[in-house]
Amino acid sequence: MKNAQWKGQALHPREDRRFVTGRGLYLPNLSFPKMLHAAILRSIHPHARIVSIDVAEALKIPGVVCALTGEQARALSKPLRPLIPLPVEIPYYCLAYEKVRYVGEPVVAVAAVSRYVAEDALDKIRVEYEPLPAVVDPEAAMKPGAPLLFEPLGTNILWHDRFTYGDVDGVFSRAAHVFSERFFIHRYSSTPLETFGCIASYDNSRRYLTLWTNDQRPGQAMPILAHSLGLSITQIRFITADIGGGFGNKRKPPYLVLAALLSRLSGRPVQFIEDRRENLMALVHACNGVMELEVAVGEAGRLLGVRVRDIADEGLNVLNPTVHSLLKLGNVTNCYEIGAVGFEGYSVMTNKCPSGANRGIGKPFMCLALERMLDNIARRLGRDRIELRRQNLVPPELMPYTTPTGELIDSGNFPETLNKLLALIGYESFRKEQEKARSQGRWLGLGLALAIEPSTSNQSSYILTSGRRNASGAGEAAMVRVESDGSVQVVLGDVGSGQGHQTAAAQIVADELGVGFEAVQVSPYFDSLVSPWLYTTGNYSNKFAGTDVGAIQGAAKKVGEKLLSLAAHLLEASAEELELAEGAVRSKKDPNIRKTLQELAQVAYRDLLALPAEMEPGLEGRCYYRAALADLPDEQRRVRGQLFVSNAGHATVVEVDIDTGRVTILKYAIVHDCGTVLNPVIVEGLVHGATAHGIGAALYEEFVYDEQGQPLNTTFVDYLKPTAVEVPDFKTDHLESPSPYTPLGMKGVGEGGAIPAPAAIANAVENALEPLGVRLSDLPLTPERVWRAIHSAKKKS
Amino acid sequence: MKPAPFHYYRARSLQEALDLLSGPAANGKLLAGGQSLIPLMNLRLARPEALIDLNNIPGLSSIRSAGAEIRIGALTRHREMEFSALLAKELPLLAEAIPQIGHPAIRNRGTLGGSLAHADPAAELPCVLTALDARMVATAPDGERVIRAEDFFTGFYATALADNEILKEVRIPLDRRPAGWGFVEFARRHGDFALAEASVLLFADDAGDRCTSARVVVGGSVERPVRVGGVEKLIQGEISLNTQASSLAHVLQRVEQLTETEIQSSIAGGENPDYLCHLTGVLARRALESAMERWRKA
Amino acid sequence: MKAPDLVPVSLEVNGIRFEGDVEPRKTLADFLREELGFTGVNLGCEHGVCGACSVLLDGAVVRSCILLAVQADGCKITTIEGLAREEKLHPIQQAFLDHHALQCGFCTPGMVLAAVDLLKRSPHPTEIQIREALSGNLCMCTGYVNIVRAVSAAAERIQTAEKP
Repeated sequence: MKNAQWKGQALHPREDRRFVTGRGLYLPNLSFPKMLHAAILRSIHPHARIVSIDVAEALKIPGVVCALTGEQARALSKPLRPLIPLPVEIPYYCLAYEKVRYVGEPVVAVAAVSRYVAEDALDKIRVEYEPLPAVVDPEAAMKPGAPLLFEPLGTNILWHDRFTYGDVDGVFSRAAHVFSERFFIHRYSSTPLETFGCIASYDNSRRYLTLWTNDQRPGQAMPILAHSLGLSITQIRFITADIGGGFGNKRKPPYLVLAALLSRLSGRPVQFIEDRRENLMALVHACNGVMELEVAVGEAGRLLGVRVRDIADEGLNVLNPTVHSLLKLGNVTNCYEIGAVGFEGYSVMTNKCPSGANRGIGKPFMCLALERMLDNIARRLGRDRIELRRQNLVPPELMPYTTPTGELIDSGNFPETLNKLLALIGYESFRKEQEKARSQGRWLGLGLALAIEPSTSNQSSYILTSGRRNASGAGEAAMVRVESDGSVQVVLGDVGSGQGHQTAAAQIVADELGVGFEAVQVSPYFDSLVSPWLYTTGNYSNKFAGTDVGAIQGAAKKVGEKLLSLAAHLLEASAEELELAEGAVRSKKDPNIRKTLQELAQVAYRDLLALPAEMEPGLEGRCYYRAALADLPDEQRRVRGQLFVSNAGHATVVEVDIDTGRVTILKYAIVHDCGTVLNPVIVEGLVHGATAHGIGAALYEEFVYDEQGQPLNTTFVDYLKPTAVEVPDFKTDHLESPSPYTPLGMKGVGEGGAIPAPAAIANAVENALEPLGVRLSDLPLTPERVWRAIHSAKKKS
Repeated sequence: MKPAPFHYYRARSLQEALDLLSGPAANGKLLAGGQSLIPLMNLRLARPEALIDLNNIPGLSSIRSAGAEIRIGALTRHREMEFSALLAKELPLLAEAIPQIGHPAIRNRGTLGGSLAHADPAAELPCVLTALDARMVATAPDGERVIRAEDFFTGFYATALADNEILKEVRIPLDRRPAGWGFVEFARRHGDFALAEASVLLFADDAGDRCTSARVVVGGSVERPVRVGGVEKLIQGEISLNTQASSLAHVLQRVEQLTETEIQSSIAGGENPDYLCHLTGVLARRALESAMERWRKA
Repeated sequence: MKAPDLVPVSLEVNGIRFEGDVEPRKTLADFLREELGFTGVNLGCEHGVCGACSVLLDGAVVRSCILLAVQADGCKITTIEGLAREEKLHPIQQAFLDHHALQCGFCTPGMVLAAVDLLKRSPHPTEIQIREALSGNLCMCTGYVNIVRAVSAAAERIQTAEKP
């Protein structure tokens, strides 16, 4: 790129202005004439047969227009297709059919003139259930004789596979030391403040569905919607509003189908917005699970091999299981040079909320296990935990480095990240500080964790778990158009959900076309009729750097070339003599010889006969971009599951109140490297926010089910999100190791902080309680858990 | 998440409210701040047939001194109490606890009477007012009566108020000024309900250096505020301004252990009440430490 | 005495008077959003915990999702839409822009109004005071760091502006 005036600028996102004045166009703020409101009656049992449903009384309430049951949904729609094929077909509809399999599963939906009345209708619906035994623990669900969620399947194990890379058995048998430990991860989720919703307007005469939603993956949702409703994609217009936070959670095709069916039945637009209780109970939970991790270590402390047996509890997720497992597989060696990997993974169903995408998706657990393990290994070998890590980091000279599983770490200086981190947290002086504090009866601890933070999912990786090639690669699409007045319009498939895409995209285009930032407008909304899109279109896996940039730049380049060509024609010069700068195409030698973009647009749109003979009118460029780095799994089952790997180091100093078990974060340092920084303000904000999610997972958030499968915390009163008091100020520093594979050298940022944070905090707490010999096992580290760990350690000694 | 339908009555006087409670709104609930009630109604966990809105009744919101007591109207908002110079001066224990009630937005609406009538064991005011030996003035169609705090909170979200009774005023005696006071609460996050809490008041002799009596009340982990009599006796016998550091440390440890023992039968915890029991003991100790600190400073 | 199905309500919102009849169970939040079109009042939980629905009622911050519209009779309400004077943003709004104290923006109206309430009571808050005052407003995007910086900066700016 010739101009780089806007790249790297600390521009505050222009989107902020409309949000700070309360003018966000979020989905709940849209309203249409005659619009109805839907409410869903949900299962109160974790597992039961549906004996009968009676909606007669509900339909009598004035203002209630129609109701929909699972039987009707089955008659009116095709089953939603699962990601991985199952030996027996499992029909899954937008409402429960024949059985309910988790508390909160949708059973009946009603549409009424207001949400108030719709909920009144729910009160009058009679559902008769025959409760069945439920299974809540994933290991119990795997045992023969466990209650089966789908009897025809004969098992609750949706997926089980083994991956072997390198001579795993040999490495383990020869290793000087083998360490093994069991780790647990709990259920939590990012809970965007705006809940998921949609408005479906089905025109029966036209057989056309218009859908407004805050779904963050339009590219994936549209085909699912089309298939379920028996429509072609041309019969659907899919529009997104401002999305009030996504973090992976804002996807639920069954709700889209549900609203569409209600609209079809009623002949009116139907809005469905989940309330917070529905959201916490039934939208999506990150998988909980158990991991047995073994690490083979050489005499000199070299990490030689890793063996994992991982059980992911997916709840009732028949639609897209194994995602967490694949991402754990891709991250299994983290920042370290480890030559042999064995990974055995299970995806298991239980009678709980379906799993799904959440900030980090499986990678926080993988990082937690490995980084905790490294501290343990250091302790048991009598080695320094920093030096043990340093010794095993992938050195910068080996970049780009391919891990045993086929993941490509494109760039990064891990030793430097570590050094900066140690300086930032004050590692050298901490030992003294800790001793002094202990003498005063205060228990301080310092913990750290390093993490790779890959981005941009490669659809090919699902071939490993699904056994079929439904999709592959990674891509995004964008359109750039110079309008007839010389202003520049940008439409990007991935509109984001708070990551400042409208600003970042404008910076890229402004640089590419040599115009001012203010001259570029980026549409905040996805509209399937307007936005170019692919199956991979959407906001997920931090793919802005990996695919969106390429699409935006590609589109801008096409327009840029056309501008140069047109100007060359009008100025009777050759395109090589010209450049794009200051809103014009001008001669490199004499800047006064120029044509402004407005003048060029005038010709391109109006004065058509002034165009060169072979040139089309208009000034529009479209780019459907795919990341060249994406590959297919090879015969050894290696694949680049995610591309463009950022990395970070987190370190924290905590204080543990041993009388109460409370953990307080005193200091938190973050060093991150996401390659070239397009906009430091945006990047820093995302780093803060993602880390806060990790803190929530480490100390506060947990979805709890009792033994019968009843969810115990379904409101914000008892599902605890960290507030401004619990989240500390962050000290941040960064490196820039540009990726050789992305157009600007950018790598993903957005989810990163959520990956190492739980590990750093857990390590810090154990460090604080080291003299007591405390070993922690479960997260979150609630005061009670910490106290019990201290209590039982005291008893042992 | 919308409430079920109900009949709404706006009471213009206490008498009107009483009439409604005995008559057309007999199955209704009183609406004061609504900060506990309306969330429950939005969740449809509470579905009262009627709401009697007390917020427009004049004269129920005030903080004043009347002889040897402070009188606070039942409809006084937490925020008013929070910024009351009178309370800060006369009832510093109360002044210490109020800012820990929820968040500013909650305190802007929540009322003293509402909080007490709701009797959430994890709330701050029931514990503190029991420590302060407050008297609740309740009014019914057949007259008024005064209920001491210790008799007012009867159990889990339960009070001694009859169905047709309305809390009108709270009176807190000032006849004895504490030499030291402390309120300590343990919540998961800032502003959350208390997992456990403790209020301690130390009263000294005329010379001001021997502790003649104490009031120790714990809450949060128990169904209703519990006066820990054994601990009160222990403190009374053992603490003075001149107590040596090592002796004091010993007393504090015994306070913690004795609190744990004394409340064990009252703990509201589920399967593993030992943590809450222990926590309550720790807080009793810390509240006492805080009270001692204040005593020394004065 | 029979309770009416609809209750007369008279109030002022962002300087506009409203008089009409409202269903008693309608929350103030829904009333402001649906009847008056002030969609800057966001619903994040509807049980009084997240603070997204915060508005000023007679100058004090309250959670509109756990207030009934009928309770606001005779009151003056300010929503986020009423904060800016035409094109000129309130110093707190400006500070939020200057410090990128938002990402998706959903918590922002409530957060800004909670900050307005804070600075009115405590014009010179310390960092911990800011954090405690805002702890009733959840943000899922920012990790609060920039929000705290913005409120701090706004406090200074307001103080400087008010100096004679």
